[in-house]
Amino acid sequence: MKYKSQAVAKLYFIAAIGLFLGQILFGLIMGLQYVVGDFLFPVIPFNVARMVHTNLLIVWLLFGFMGASYYLIPEESETELYSPKLAIITFWIFLVAGAVTVLGYLLVPYASLAKWTGNDLLNTMGREFLEQPLPTKVGIVIVALSWLFNIVMTVLKGRKTAISIVLSLGMLGLAVFFLFSFYNPVNLVKDKFYWWWVVHLWVEGVWELILGAMLAFVLIKVTGVDREVVEKWLYVIITMTLVTGIIGTGHHYFWIGAPAYWQWWGSVFSALEPIPFLMMTIFAFNMVNKRRREHPNKAAVLWALGTSVMAFLGAGLWGFLHTLAPINYYTHGTQLTAAHGHLAFFGAYALVVLTMISYAMPILRGRAANPERAQIMEMWSFWLMTISMFFIALFLTGAGIVQVWLQRMSPTPMSFMAVQDQISIFYWAREGAGLVFLIGLLLYIGSFFVKGESRAFE
Amino acid sequence: MPPAININNQDDLPGDFAIWIFIFAEMLAFGVLFVAYAFSRAQDVELFNASQLTLSRISGAINTLVLITSSYFVVQGVAAIKRGLNKQCAHWLTGAFILGGVFVVIKMVEFHAKFAADITMSTNNFYMFYLSLTFFHFMHVLMGMVILAMIIMKAKRGGYSTQDYVGVETGASFWHMVDFLWIILFPLVYIIR
Amino acid sequence: MANNKALFPTVIWLTLVALTIITFSLGESAMSGKGVMLTLLAITMIKSQLVANYFMALRKTKFLWRAIMFGYFIIVGSLIAMAYLMGLK
Repeated sequence: MKYKSQAVAKLYFIAAIGLFLGQILFGLIMGLQYVVGDFLFPVIPFNVARMVHTNLLIVWLLFGFMGASYYLIPEESETELYSPKLAIITFWIFLVAGAVTVLGYLLVPYASLAKWTGNDLLNTMGREFLEQPLPTKVGIVIVALSWLFNIVMTVLKGRKTAISIVLSLGMLGLAVFFLFSFYNPVNLVKDKFYWWWVVHLWVEGVWELILGAMLAFVLIKVTGVDREVVEKWLYVIITMTLVTGIIGTGHHYFWIGAPAYWQWWGSVFSALEPIPFLMMTIFAFNMVNKRRREHPNKAAVLWALGTSVMAFLGAGLWGFLHTLAPINYYTHGTQLTAAHGHLAFFGAYALVVLTMISYAMPILRGRAANPERAQIMEMWSFWLMTISMFFIALFLTGAGIVQVWLQRMSPTPMSFMAVQDQISIFYWAREGAGLVFLIGLLLYIGSFFVKGESRAFE
Repeated sequence: MPPAININNQDDLPGDFAIWIFIFAEMLAFGVLFVAYAFSRAQDVELFNASQLTLSRISGAINTLVLITSSYFVVQGVAAIKRGLNKQCAHWLTGAFILGGVFVVIKMVEFHAKFAADITMSTNNFYMFYLSLTFFHFMHVLMGMVILAMIIMKAKRGGYSTQDYVGVETGASFWHMVDFLWIILFPLVYIIR
Repeated sequence: MANNKALFPTVIWLTLVALTIITFSLGESAMSGKGVMLTLLAITMIKSQLVANYFMALRKTKFLWRAIMFGYFIIVGSLIAMAYLMGLK
């Protein structure tokens, strides 16, 4: 660790992993509820489990992004963090607010929660991913702004690099686009617009800047390749990402009451969205092949390469599968969407946070890399999680295809619930893959506790 | 005159390779839109033909000549910089930049006429493609002009040499792409029926 | 020889201007039909190829790049032609 203040990242990383575990447990609960409808009813109904599963995902990724930037920015800027104290205060506010919110979801009926938290003052609740009560939403804005402030002040007083600029831009976008979640028009079409401007512009826009910056940082560190080369690639990739991603928002406008020309704009531009992901894969492998040093942290290299490949598969390829309007006409809102959502979130964002943790955590704990045995365990966890997530995506894709056929294309279409019965075999298989994923995650957590001879700094 | 020493490998694409990633991606996007236009037209030939006749073919043709000529100026600019003549290069590129401006003005007059006639992307499929394609291309002309302006400023400071003119070639390649995309777009949308 | 080389882009430019005027006149003459359509498309693709080869100076680069460009014009051109022929019925 070059700068003392980088140490705050550790808190964030530990919280991220803890919440990740929570997310997976709720994922398993609802995965089972798909096939055993009354499992844990009425304690944890499906809709609550789903809310907790998705909200935890977003919150742990945010913790990961924050921790990663508190680690990365001092090193890039070659200066101590502007205010480590603010970073620690922000951490506790965010963690407590997050925990209270989740407890609120679990213990209080959603309608009462809405009533108690002033939803009739400013109506923002009840939309997928944006279920948070008003005070939590305000808290998220404050936390994001404090994070942004801290990072930007650090960047301003130190060295400015392409990586720190792209990362700051991504964070600025993250904070700004979340503001759309405070407006919830009665008109359903408008409501969807504002909703997508948070959801889509986050995951298919500004988050990709954060992803690109973090991946570029780790690759520079583990390969020793010239910064100029990496920076040029980074700029090309993020430009492509923004152009295709922003206009590609149109692929969400297909059947919701937006003008018909969006079918063309959305199809064409979102069909190009895999290109920056493909470039990222080529870039990552190129860097590793041209490496100037053998970094002792082999696991971090594996995570980084894994991110680039899985992001391309999950976000790029699985997104492309159902992004063209004529295909989306049939696949809209089926299990295909769930397949894409799982593989993309895992491949792009979960993996990049784990990449950062894998690279930074040993250094935060005072060594260049973890002991051999810990690394081997970590690599096992990589393969278990990655392969099982890939299978989850495959099973859901299978479920989606059968669903589209039985429910929408067949000459004698079946009802939604009847179809769900028909595809239960896929859901069972998905739940099995989910269990393997949990084992992978537990192994990952276990790898932090493996003792042994660790590599000191050279 | 002694031949300029060319440090660029002749096998390589002119300019920075990064710009070529964009050029190929742009070609792909426009290519898909061109083909989509053609197949949508096949669905409703009468509508497309009737709407097409309302376009100003003369302004489209003038704009084609404008862009072709500006591309020609850019070629001369690159030739100048290969001989190390920064000032001449800046002059040629300024010419290209001004022609870019002419294109933009003519295009805006055209857009204005269409909007004044209450034509939008929702009017019909032909206008949807016409407005999308030309607007998308229009944005590229603006982008190309920004790039040219940056190169002109650097060239005026004497910023390039016979050894180092990759920047000029990079901008030039982008500008030629803008040109040939319009060369396809013009007959496709304005003329062929 | 040096003189010829300097003149060459000018020749290409004049050719492009001439082809544009032909395209425009064919459009104004209100002719239509298979022959005119294919002629116009062929002219268009020749023009683009001229720009790519001589203005962009791809002629001197390696085969792959020229093949991508040429292939692009051929594929886009023939798909457009196919669609128009479908429209004729």
